[in-house]
Amino acid sequence: MSTLDIGLLSFPGLLLLIFLRVPIGLAMFVAGFVGLWMINGSPNIAMAKLKSETYGQFSNYSLSIVPIFLLMGHFATLGGMSQALFKAAESWIGHRKGGVAMAAIGACAGFGAICGSSLATAATMGRVALPELRNYGYAGGISTATLAAGGTLGILIPPSVVLVIYAILTEQNIAKLFLAAFIPGLLAALGYIIAISIYVRVHPNAAGTRPRVPYSERFDNLLDVWPVLVVFITVVGGIYGGIFTPTEGASIGALGTGAIAFANGGLNWSTLKESFMVTARSSAMIFLIVLGAGFYNGFLAQSQVPQMASSWVIGQGFSPWTVLVIILGFYLLLGCVMDSLSMILLTIPIFFPVINALDFGMTAEHTAIWFGILVLIVVEVGLITPPVGMNLFIINAMERTTPIVETYKAVTYFVASDLIRTAILVAFPSITLFLLH
Amino acid sequence: MTRFFLGLSRLFALMGGIMLTIVIMITSISILGRSLNSLLHSDFFQSALGGLSNWLIDAGIGSIKGDFELVEAAMAFSIFAFIPLTQMTNGHAAVDLFTAWLPKRAQLVLRMLIEILFAVVLVIIAKQLFEGMSSKMRSGQTTFLLEFKVWWAYALSLVPAVVAAVVGIYMALVRTYEAAVGRVIIADEMGAEH
Repeated sequence: MSTLDIGLLSFPGLLLLIFLRVPIGLAMFVAGFVGLWMINGSPNIAMAKLKSETYGQFSNYSLSIVPIFLLMGHFATLGGMSQALFKAAESWIGHRKGGVAMAAIGACAGFGAICGSSLATAATMGRVALPELRNYGYAGGISTATLAAGGTLGILIPPSVVLVIYAILTEQNIAKLFLAAFIPGLLAALGYIIAISIYVRVHPNAAGTRPRVPYSERFDNLLDVWPVLVVFITVVGGIYGGIFTPTEGASIGALGTGAIAFANGGLNWSTLKESFMVTARSSAMIFLIVLGAGFYNGFLAQSQVPQMASSWVIGQGFSPWTVLVIILGFYLLLGCVMDSLSMILLTIPIFFPVINALDFGMTAEHTAIWFGILVLIVVEVGLITPPVGMNLFIINAMERTTPIVETYKAVTYFVASDLIRTAILVAFPSITLFLLH
Repeated sequence: MTRFFLGLSRLFALMGGIMLTIVIMITSISILGRSLNSLLHSDFFQSALGGLSNWLIDAGIGSIKGDFELVEAAMAFSIFAFIPLTQMTNGHAAVDLFTAWLPKRAQLVLRMLIEILFAVVLVIIAKQLFEGMSSKMRSGQTTFLLEFKVWWAYALSLVPAVVAAVVGIYMALVRTYEAAVGRVIIADEMGAEH
């Protein structure tokens, strides 16, 4: 069996492991280990790699941003920022038709600006906004679907853990990727708000109304969100302005958010310990996937599969746009069963060289950034696609009176909005790249 | 037994969290020092308070030397220390769509096999980390700026790596027992957030 054959055969092998419920990081690790063993005829090379690779991945300076952002997200929750955001958004637009749901989207967008994780945003905002939505007579399905979709803004709006991983894999500038994600993230929020307004017109009984709030109170509520603004501007602005590295920006953000949470009385020894526990589980999960993916991708590179894939695609003379659409479609399908980070770590080493070799009429860097944002969007759609979107489950578990089927029905409006947005961003790369110019 | 290992895992997660906090502190202090340093170097401070400014700069107001080397060593410790809890509470990302229809017994056996595989991998990782440490010890390699021995950082990570391997073995035993008696002893917590 040639080296290339081993590389190609590793795909069905890896998929089999993953579908047998083997944790994705472990599956990639094992596939990479066995693959290196078969290529080299002995396990020695793989074992020798391990002497420094685990430490190397876990001590990677760029990756250290991941646990820090996760911790920051918990501090933001403890600091009551999710409540403040929702309250402010609700007082401004809550009285409109579907307004409370729209306010939840707005609050998710705001929380996304200080939280790099989708599931955390969905979970946090779910706790705050679900009771309110139900209280004002919103039907179960639209309430849960709104928060599941709003949760994806946690990752679409920078900072974003998935973008950090993409940046490291493709050796792109994290700051530029964050900046490029900004407009598509706002468009996502806008698209969701439009989806809600269409939904409440189709299903007029699905949304209740709430009284108007006087302007004085609106401005008071708006003032309460200043910590979110300060943290966002410091972290993302500082990183983009080159004042500090992404890890430094995340540290300052975590420290500031922690201080605010402490001042509000939300942070004490027991909540701090709980934040550590949740951060620990998420970080270990992510880093084991990163380790497994690093191992598997090292093996793939040695097997020459990525080079072969890109030269094959170019040799076929496909139009770049066809290839792009096929790749994005593939992510949408895979996203129905797999989580976003695993998908990116698994596929980018194959797809990125292909995209890089195609000519979209842009510089290599712009193509890489644009593709990164598109991938970010399509993998996030997976979080809200029935039947297994993670956000749907998290939110549905909080709202026990709503059958999951109701959530599935309502979320199609948001998925449609995602697909339309993706098409627009594919057709007009300048929307994504606008802030970079 | 389970309570002991869960306690141990939580203890290490806590230590990892404290280390993470130290990283955040080091980084933030370093930025503060660096900003003060450039402020003291600015024209205004140099002309108005030249003596004082230079004295402060000489006294070491500036970024922490080699801060990222400390961050890297501390971060590796944290991540290794986070693994045992994730292992105990099954916090790993997996696709369970295709195995959900299997009979309960088959699911338990599958889970046993996966947990054994995981334990083997965690043991290999810890053992190779030890090998890596030994070779860094022999070569006497030091970091670039702070010039501390690289093997110290490996040794620091080795402690939680060994704990992770031990917890991995314990979980493999638990899942084997569960498969044998056909009953779940340690339930999963809610799926991990990321």
